[in-house]
Amino acid sequence: MRNYENLVIVKPTLTAEEIQASVKAIEEVITSNGGEIAATSPMGMRKLAYPIDKNERGYYHVIYSSITPSAISEIERRFRINEDLLRFVTIKYDTNREIAAFNTMVEKAKKAAEAPAKVETPVVETPATEAPVAEEAPAVETEAPVATEAAAE
Amino acid sequence: MAEKRKYKKRYCKYCEAKVDFMDYKDAGALRFSLSERYKIMPRRLTGNCKRHQDMIAVVIKRARAAALVPYTVTRKAVVTAPFENLK
Ligand SMILES: [Zn+2]
Repeated sequence: MRNYENLVIVKPTLTAEEIQASVKAIEEVITSNGGEIAATSPMGMRKLAYPIDKNERGYYHVIYSSITPSAISEIERRFRINEDLLRFVTIKYDTNREIAAFNTMVEKAKKAAEAPAKVETPVVETPATEAPVAEEAPAVETEAPVATEAAAE
Repeated sequence: MAEKRKYKKRYCKYCEAKVDFMDYKDAGALRFSLSERYKIMPRRLTGNCKRHQDMIAVVIKRARAAALVPYTVTRKAVVTAPFENLK
């Protein structure tokens, strides 16, 4: 068994339920080939850096799992057949350093899955209170680059 | 412009931050080693060490495959949207 990360991009033209069903089917492909899913992290709908099959957006979903190396080719074959997928990326985590990074990412994904609502609500509130303060601040010249960076991000 | 940006003091940013592993999904972190046209910046300009340059090259190529970072940018896109999609 080896640690792998599968990133899949699902077609944006599907409805929300269809996307969830498609993600379920993808996870099932991994489990049915002897893979154990450690964690999943939905990155959500986001803009693609370049259009794929004339799609400007895509639903990103990341699956961390441990799979026997020989099963990867079969899993990728199934991904290639799947018409709901725009793209998939499989990354191997093999060296000690990579495995350590893999474990921290799995922990992070698990935490995000446990308490998504709790994390998001305070984050939304704080910029709303901070933003007017920044605008009122007299030091316009020093504030300006910070503001543009925030806007770009 | 970015390609002629001055890099006076040459040191490896990643060594200083003690980066052991880079995540290709964190596209914003790759910005320092990408030009305005999303080319991988050469080591002689960024001052990255060999080890970290090798790491970043792999990570950028992964991010390109995952459509997180573009392969190429047209002249129009350079003007309108520099790094707009990298968060
Ligand atoms: Zn370095």
